[in-house]
Amino acid sequence: MQDEALSEAARAFRGRSVVSANDFTRADILAVLEAAGAFEGRAGGPGSTPQEPRLPGRVLGLLFFEPSTRTRLSFESAMLRLGGSVLGFADARVSSFSKGETLNDTIRVVAGYCDAIVLRHPNEGSARLAAEVSTIPVINGGDGSNQHPTQTLLDLYTIKKAMGRLDDLRVGFMGDLRYGRTVHSLAAALLHFDVKLSFIGPPSLKLPPDLRLEIEEAGRLGIEVESLDEVEDLDVLYITRIQKERFPDPVEYERVRASYRVDREALLPLGPELKIMHPLPRVNEVAPDVDTLPGAIYFQQTRNGVTVRMALLDLILGGGA
Amino acid sequence: MTIPRDFRLVDGTVIDHLPVGTAARALELLRLPREGPVTIGMNVPSSRHDKKDIIRVEGMVLEKRELDRLALLGEHVTVSIVQAGKVVDKIRLEVPKRLRGILTCTNPTCVTNNEPVQTVFERLGRYPFRFRCTYCERVLTL
Repeated sequence: MQDEALSEAARAFRGRSVVSANDFTRADILAVLEAAGAFEGRAGGPGSTPQEPRLPGRVLGLLFFEPSTRTRLSFESAMLRLGGSVLGFADARVSSFSKGETLNDTIRVVAGYCDAIVLRHPNEGSARLAAEVSTIPVINGGDGSNQHPTQTLLDLYTIKKAMGRLDDLRVGFMGDLRYGRTVHSLAAALLHFDVKLSFIGPPSLKLPPDLRLEIEEAGRLGIEVESLDEVEDLDVLYITRIQKERFPDPVEYERVRASYRVDREALLPLGPELKIMHPLPRVNEVAPDVDTLPGAIYFQQTRNGVTVRMALLDLILGGGA
Repeated sequence: MTIPRDFRLVDGTVIDHLPVGTAARALELLRLPREGPVTIGMNVPSSRHDKKDIIRVEGMVLEKRELDRLALLGEHVTVSIVQAGKVVDKIRLEVPKRLRGILTCTNPTCVTNNEPVQTVFERLGRYPFRFRCTYCERVLTL
């Protein structure tokens, strides 16, 4: 893609809300990933060097109506590393929301206290509503089971960093394909690229029909199987947690959970080049002996969260401008 | 106004080409009867679509919002305006690309079911009608 198109897409992020991965164009994705490259090695961890302040005096509001560790802390880390400050709450019980205030009012009020808002909320569509009523940009930090667009961006960044490209890739998704929002958002975002997407999961947790149709119509559908044994030739395997609450029968849950656990031996036939990703937290779907495989990149994936969120905040709030 | 004893429409509206079995739903949507007579034909022969339902309402002109609701009942629904016993206008109803405040989201945890906000749905393709909630992004098939 031409540099000019990328620069244009990067400029368009200034003051923009980020609500859904479905809103991203290919240029949007590439612009954020390119911007993230500039913060590589500035996001903490071994060998990291401090980032020059790019957002001094800017304040990010973190409104977390639901518990979160990674998303909240990585946004906080990203903003602090850029020289900005954060405020907000991590528990809806301490906000006016618990007194019955509408989300609409909460957003309008908080918009007067900061320069951008990160919102996590249990209701699907809450971020879209917040972005409509807010006078400042709103970044969706997860709206129920719907969207988590910054997770999608950091997943894409992780794939690009590990593979050197986003085109000409075979990506497999395994686990909860039905309810896993990370699967839905990443699969939809990957449709902007030349990829083949395969799906491995139990019949009760198949991909939603509409998304499946979209992938099929785009000519990007690989195989759909119940077991990893039936899969050959993958570049990336994206594993998600199978959640207990999705199963009315605990026996069925235990059976499914046991059959979707991967260890070194199960991954061996897929070769040493395979990259293994997981949005974390994991329960037991990825055995600890996988951690030392060179292709296990799920901890790098979470670290990339800070880098990508630094890039996104910098683009939205016009860092260095 | 004098209404003919055979209920021929003098000034009113004909809702035609309703799919068979949807006349009752149309009456419900339009809260009919109101003031004038209403004649209903169900499962009547149609020259174009085999069978159809049809409703004739004396003394009523439909509003845009009502037309949008009726359009959801089928892909061939037409509405004719009759004045002085003659059809002066006939339109084939189109489902708008965007529906505001007409449908309810079936997802109980959608923000539209939990906050004071009007629903907005976008139509995906043509018939059968599928709509995406612009908030929770779930797809609704009618």
